[in-house]
Amino acid sequence: MLAISERKNGANPMVPYLGKLVKVKDLAAEIKLFSVEMLDGGREAFSQYYPGQFAFLSAFGVGEAPFGIASTPERGPILDFAVNRLGSVTSELHLLGEGDIVGVRGPLGNCFPMDEFKGKDLIVLGGGIGGAPLRPVIHSVLDNREDYGDLTILWAARHPSLLVFSDEYEQWRSAPGTRLHLTVDQPDDLWDHNVGLITELLEKVSPSPKNAISITCGPPVMIYYASKLLEKLGFKAEQNYVTLEARMHCGIGKCGRCNLGEKLVCVDGPVFSMAEVGGLRESFL
Amino acid sequence: MKLTTHEELSSWLDSLAENLNLIAPRAVDGVPLYRPVQHSQEVLWDFTRPVLSVKEAFFPATERLLTIEKGNRQIRLIESLSEEPQVVFGVRPCDARGVKMLDALFTAAPGDPYYARRRANTTLVGLACREMGPTCFCTSMGGSPDDASNMDVMLYPIEEGYLVQAVTSKGQALLDNYALQSREHSTGQAEQKTAFVYEQAEKYPLPERSAWAAQFEDAYWDQVAERCLSCRICAYVCPTCRCFDVRDEALPEAMSNASPSGNGSSQFERIRCWDSCTGEAYRRIAGGHNPRAEKGQRLRNRFLCKFDYYPRQYALGSAACTGCGRCIDACPVNIDITEVMQHIAEVSQC
Repeated sequence: MLAISERKNGANPMVPYLGKLVKVKDLAAEIKLFSVEMLDGGREAFSQYYPGQFAFLSAFGVGEAPFGIASTPERGPILDFAVNRLGSVTSELHLLGEGDIVGVRGPLGNCFPMDEFKGKDLIVLGGGIGGAPLRPVIHSVLDNREDYGDLTILWAARHPSLLVFSDEYEQWRSAPGTRLHLTVDQPDDLWDHNVGLITELLEKVSPSPKNAISITCGPPVMIYYASKLLEKLGFKAEQNYVTLEARMHCGIGKCGRCNLGEKLVCVDGPVFSMAEVGGLRESFL
Repeated sequence: MKLTTHEELSSWLDSLAENLNLIAPRAVDGVPLYRPVQHSQEVLWDFTRPVLSVKEAFFPATERLLTIEKGNRQIRLIESLSEEPQVVFGVRPCDARGVKMLDALFTAAPGDPYYARRRANTTLVGLACREMGPTCFCTSMGGSPDDASNMDVMLYPIEEGYLVQAVTSKGQALLDNYALQSREHSTGQAEQKTAFVYEQAEKYPLPERSAWAAQFEDAYWDQVAERCLSCRICAYVCPTCRCFDVRDEALPEAMSNASPSGNGSSQFERIRCWDSCTGEAYRRIAGGHNPRAEKGQRLRNRFLCKFDYYPRQYALGSAACTGCGRCIDACPVNIDITEVMQHIAEVSQC
């Protein structure tokens, strides 16, 4: 096995570390979960990272794209990434299998202030593959259950086949003080959970804003309407956290691609409170 | 100040070209550009400003970040960092100010080593402008056609030759090491400055930074953008625009076969190339959502970046526009940044 990264400058943030795919599995329709074992310098670089951070995955020969890290270092050294097959990089990644080498550049961006969330009730809203960067939040809470209040997970997708991490639902549900609500827009014959948009589910569950924090990730339109509804339920902008997606090419504040007004999603985010981005003139919508 | 003649300056340039990478204004198919030169005879002396800014010397239009050797489950990455010392001659003050603004961005932690290496290995030899060009407006942006402040060496053309000013120790070293012949000249700096009378001082109003965001919802952006072709030329010619794209490209087959590992692996290069926020797909995210799908939104972002976002993100202390006027010359549909400034100034007064 040859996997060398020749770095003249050890700190070059544009050079990826190399990692080996140790597991590739179907997570949902057109979505695969890639489990990566870091090689060489990457082990050290990814020995610590935090919920909400992201990294670039390279499909060498095609390019790289940013993905939220879907694992936590506390559960082991393997990094998880959920990849939806949409463009050239993700299509190439989907052709790779166990044993193949990918590039991983990171960890990048800020993170959810998990320490500030301690002692509070958490409402986690995940839409489709937007659930991936929220999995580390859920894992952190479950692994330190007594540090946090109630955990309410609202998990949505267009169709049951697009729900991510379904093999973990039982584990989530059975944790103390934890509730999982599922909804899809288009049910199939076997579906026996909620039907409708995540906002309808949120209205039905109607969580109390008292000593609570909401954390949302999903399509921009979902984040927008979920935030509006949370405000209606009494959540203040500072209580509502989101993680935003943007096209980007560097992850270190240089390429300019991900700006949202004067904010750069890569270095000022991807995690924001709605107090930070709700009032920006330029909408993420 | 010292005086050097055109002949002495030319032979200094020749010795620079012999010993290191010399970049100077040169006519390429009649188009003035900063390009490597081998001999002073290639240097273009009479020019307003090259069509592309000097940013190319640090941030090329396309550059290789990595070479990727890819075999069967084998990957080898080779960094592509430039080590070559270079001198850029004939830098205009507007361009040197642009470099200062790019420095703030590319060296902010974590620094960009590709830019930082080139920058550290480069000496800037400035050439004051004899006069301002028809679309120049550096004086409205806080610059000046004889501003030496961002150079290493500054040259002022006068009747008898060039007055020479070593601005930094790096510049002094270049003068000393390659022995530019010169002699004391009676003209003091104060007198020298008065030799240049620029007619277009503060031609345009520079709106307050806060005035730009205040006009975020102005219908004006859509009106201006109506004729915008999203061609991105304004960003390519701009000395401070720095947006880029990164992608992998296959290297030609011949080079692949010559790969050092000789195991039939294929070679790719990871490149970055200039891009611009006025391009249609610039902000589009996976799945197709585009928060800046309209031309007006994109053009507004370009101007707000110049006058509000970029100065704030990288603590520039000024607008990220040097008044070089290149975008005015280059725009195929005559979108004029000075007209935009005037509009913002007008509407923010009422």
